Amino acid sequence: MTPSRKRSTENPAHDALARAGRALRLVLLIALAALFLIPFYLLLRNGLAAESDITAADWTFFPRELHWSNVRELFDDPDVPMAHALLNSTLIAVATTAGTLVLASLAGYGLARIPYRHANAVFYAILGTLMVPAAVTFVPSFVLVSSLGWVSTLRGLIVPTLFSAFACFVFRQYFLGFPRELEDAAQVDGLGYWRTYWRVVVPNSLPVFAAVGTIVFIGAWNAFLWPLVIGQDRDAWTVQVALSAFSTAQTVNLHELFVAAAVSIVPLLVVFLFLQRYIVAGVERSGIDD
Amino acid sequence: MPPAALRPLTSNTTRRQRNRTLWFWVFVGPFAVGLALFTYVPLGWSVFLSFFDAHNTVTPTDFTGFGNYRRILSDPEFRSSLTTFAVFTAIIVPATFALSLALALAVNRLRWAQAFFRSVFFLPTACSYVVAALVWKMSIFNGVRFGLANTVLGWFGAEPVAWLATTQPPWYWLVIGTVRLWLQTGFYMILFLAGLQRIPVRLYEAAALDGARPGWQTFRHITFPALRATSVAVALLLVINAFQAFDEFFNLLSDARGYPPYARPPLVYLYYTALGQGQDLGLGSAGAVVLALVIAVVTVVQARWSGLGRKEE
Amino acid sequence: MPITRRRLLTAGGGLALAGATAAACGSNTGRGGGGSGGSLSHWYHQYGEPGTEQAVRRYAAAYKKTRISVQWRPGGNFDQQTAAALLSGSGPDVFEVNGPTLDQILGGQVVDLTDLLKDVKDDFQQAVLAPKTHDGRIWGIPQTVDTQLLYYRKSLLDKAGVRPPRTLDELVDAARRLTDRRTKGLFLGNDGGAGVLGATPLHAAGLSPVTADGKVGFDDPAAARTLAKIRKLYEDKALLLGAPADWSDPSAFVQGLTAMQWSGLWALPQITKALGDDVGVLPFPADGPAGKPAVPVGAYAAAVSARSDRKAEAKAYVRWLWVEQTGYQEDFALSYGLHLPARTSLARKADRLRQGPAAEASRFAAEHGHADPLLWTVASKVAYQDALSRIIKDGADPEGQLKAVVRTTEAELARVRKRS
Repeated sequence: MTPSRKRSTENPAHDALARAGRALRLVLLIALAALFLIPFYLLLRNGLAAESDITAADWTFFPRELHWSNVRELFDDPDVPMAHALLNSTLIAVATTAGTLVLASLAGYGLARIPYRHANAVFYAILGTLMVPAAVTFVPSFVLVSSLGWVSTLRGLIVPTLFSAFACFVFRQYFLGFPRELEDAAQVDGLGYWRTYWRVVVPNSLPVFAAVGTIVFIGAWNAFLWPLVIGQDRDAWTVQVALSAFSTAQTVNLHELFVAAAVSIVPLLVVFLFLQRYIVAGVERSGIDD
Repeated sequence: MPPAALRPLTSNTTRRQRNRTLWFWVFVGPFAVGLALFTYVPLGWSVFLSFFDAHNTVTPTDFTGFGNYRRILSDPEFRSSLTTFAVFTAIIVPATFALSLALALAVNRLRWAQAFFRSVFFLPTACSYVVAALVWKMSIFNGVRFGLANTVLGWFGAEPVAWLATTQPPWYWLVIGTVRLWLQTGFYMILFLAGLQRIPVRLYEAAALDGARPGWQTFRHITFPALRATSVAVALLLVINAFQAFDEFFNLLSDARGYPPYARPPLVYLYYTALGQGQDLGLGSAGAVVLALVIAVVTVVQARWSGLGRKEE
Repeated sequence: MPITRRRLLTAGGGLALAGATAAACGSNTGRGGGGSGGSLSHWYHQYGEPGTEQAVRRYAAAYKKTRISVQWRPGGNFDQQTAAALLSGSGPDVFEVNGPTLDQILGGQVVDLTDLLKDVKDDFQQAVLAPKTHDGRIWGIPQTVDTQLLYYRKSLLDKAGVRPPRTLDELVDAARRLTDRRTKGLFLGNDGGAGVLGATPLHAAGLSPVTADGKVGFDDPAAARTLAKIRKLYEDKALLLGAPADWSDPSAFVQGLTAMQWSGLWALPQITKALGDDVGVLPFPADGPAGKPAVPVGAYAAAVSARSDRKAEAKAYVRWLWVEQTGYQEDFALSYGLHLPARTSLARKADRLRQGPAAEASRFAAEHGHADPLLWTVASKVAYQDALSRIIKDGADPEGQLKAVVRTTEAELARVRKRS
């Protein structure tokens, strides 16, 4: 990928060895990639099979006949409102992502760039919450949210999750490394913190926003415990809750379970493949990793 | 900002400072208030509960001092849940670390199809623990003849294994470990890839001039030291995440009647026996506080030891 | 950079829109728990039998005095969900519960329903009413009686030359002889039996978890002897483990993964549909000289939350549905899956319980039925279940394990005595 990596050597035997090494590495990578794809394959195989194909004594690599009707059956199932759950999950994930990005980036910028005597104390107070597992404060959180009357509302599902210490931390680290010259120029133009932030800092930081946004979006889409307890009303079910409704029913219907699982990851895979470029670029520039 | 502090204070700088303080809170305030309300209030509430006999109530009146702490610390089940966590961490942290680093190195050197391989390994990050646990429990590692793992065993003439129900040998660790490995390796691979991209080419050139052979020597003396910051961050994130493990354990091993007495990390134990139908909220909160303290100590020690906080800004 | 402001506005607009949607959704969920007037909320756990949900919604809609909003709760942790919800005002008004537990009663979380049953108390199956009663007051109304039994494939037993087991030793022997490469002898759940069997083996040994006068009921060498035989099943590799569907679902039995399965009576319709006459039922077989056959019975009960601010209306509704509307009760018990009616008057006239395996099951429940006593608290149960799991899977010493459970149970009995 860089010229330096293609160091040539004069020794042909060494050259052959290197080539063999490369080939071996490639074979290993392909094998690993195949392993990583197995679960996706199983989701498709089981999701599009008839129940008897899944439980058959002999393994079939793919169902003899693809049962696309399983998808229709899923959306027609009166017991599990899959379409509505997809809508809920989308609303929640979008709102959570937007809200988190705004709140956490502002806080991260303030912590990184605005001098304040107790800034470090505030930062450590925020960072410290990373160490408190959500499940630990689970019952008091539930009581708090329910005393606000937010049970079974989208508000209850969204607002308490907006304050991500992780996102704030990433933004702070990133803004610490943001080139000061750009902001200085803006300040010379007479822009205050607020306008400097929105006009100069944000537009030059989009990859980081994309990276953090994707991570938050994935987390919001995949959240399980909180939606399970807060989303009491069927109208407030998310995809994950609907999925667990399938798997904990007294009668397990394997093909429907798998087709539901497959449907639940499709939106995310689309977002993901589309945004991957930005995530990688964002991670590279954000310093999430240092 | 020591320079500012050294300057004599004039009314002008005081005003500017006040102005800055105001702006600081405009930026940080909304986030801080929300965090305080939705994290610190429940946390404080838990601490409060931990000093009371709080069966089935969150507004207890029966003060018991450190009684709950004595009970939870002398509870063999709680202590064994901490051991479970230690075992889990000892498996999953090195495994994820090594695999994600190896994948990053391999993918980074690819000349073609790099994006493809990166996508394949990164893709599982998009899956939820619910979905992954379902595939693992119902399809790959179910205990009957039509599970994938048992089908493969069957080709070699072996008996089906009840992966999640066998404690001797503890096959369930294979199931639990591989779920998390599959789900999180891709993300850390991306972090390592980003770290690799930042290593200046001249380092390799200098090493080649010094006679370092490409391969292990270069990795050992150039690449790995240059990845130090990334490595520290990855290890720290892995440990924190391992502590928070709940979803895959819950979705793999729980059933309508509860949870088996093995592979029970602290959060699962607290959820079930204290915060669940047993509803001994005082005891559960005491356990939660102990757990949070353990996490804090481990994290701080790890950060100090690896010099995370000392990085120049 | 003019584009920035527009982008900001879009983001802000998006948030506002999301907020508005959230607000809108918040107001139309029809919840009454918060005291906002409107409907009473009634929680059910998710039943697997098709049609159950539609049925309970139909019953609720037929109640004219108050609007009822039925909440159908998924997830295997219904008990945990209700327990958490009962701590706050936004929980249910009326809920079904696999209890209520003694601590819920003592903690004042449920409402005394004694007067609702004033005239009909004797019509309820006493075995399941007793655990809903504390100090002579009734805290939950049994909805239906659930019972579990041992299903076996007649043809497979015949082929192996095994007769239906009448003792635990015969069961161990039969399971071993019925096991081959494709089929296991017995399915006691994916955990090897610790969860579903519970106190049943104790009863089969002639013991009980807690005696009628509130003492530990299994501090006896017979308990260890019996539990060791379940370990034997595991050791013989005669138990099916790790099936995709657990013991409550007849799939493993129907798919031929096992020759015998411990499951609920509710599974019978599915089993007869798939296997016709090729099925027999048995109670859990007796063990030892003092032993007797045992089947567990239990009931989900309708309870009223003490947090509800409309307790009177909630009680009136519960009386209407679970005391007066015998037609609905019969429909609920017999039309979706199969359960025994909680009331003897209904059980007597139920045609579906007159013949075949169903008749036998209802006879087992009457003759050998035992319910978990109220004093068998969650903490004791968990300790016992953990011990049983260690005995079965790890081969832990039954006597030592049981001793620890006896200690836990004694501590729990002392704690609740102090509390009440």
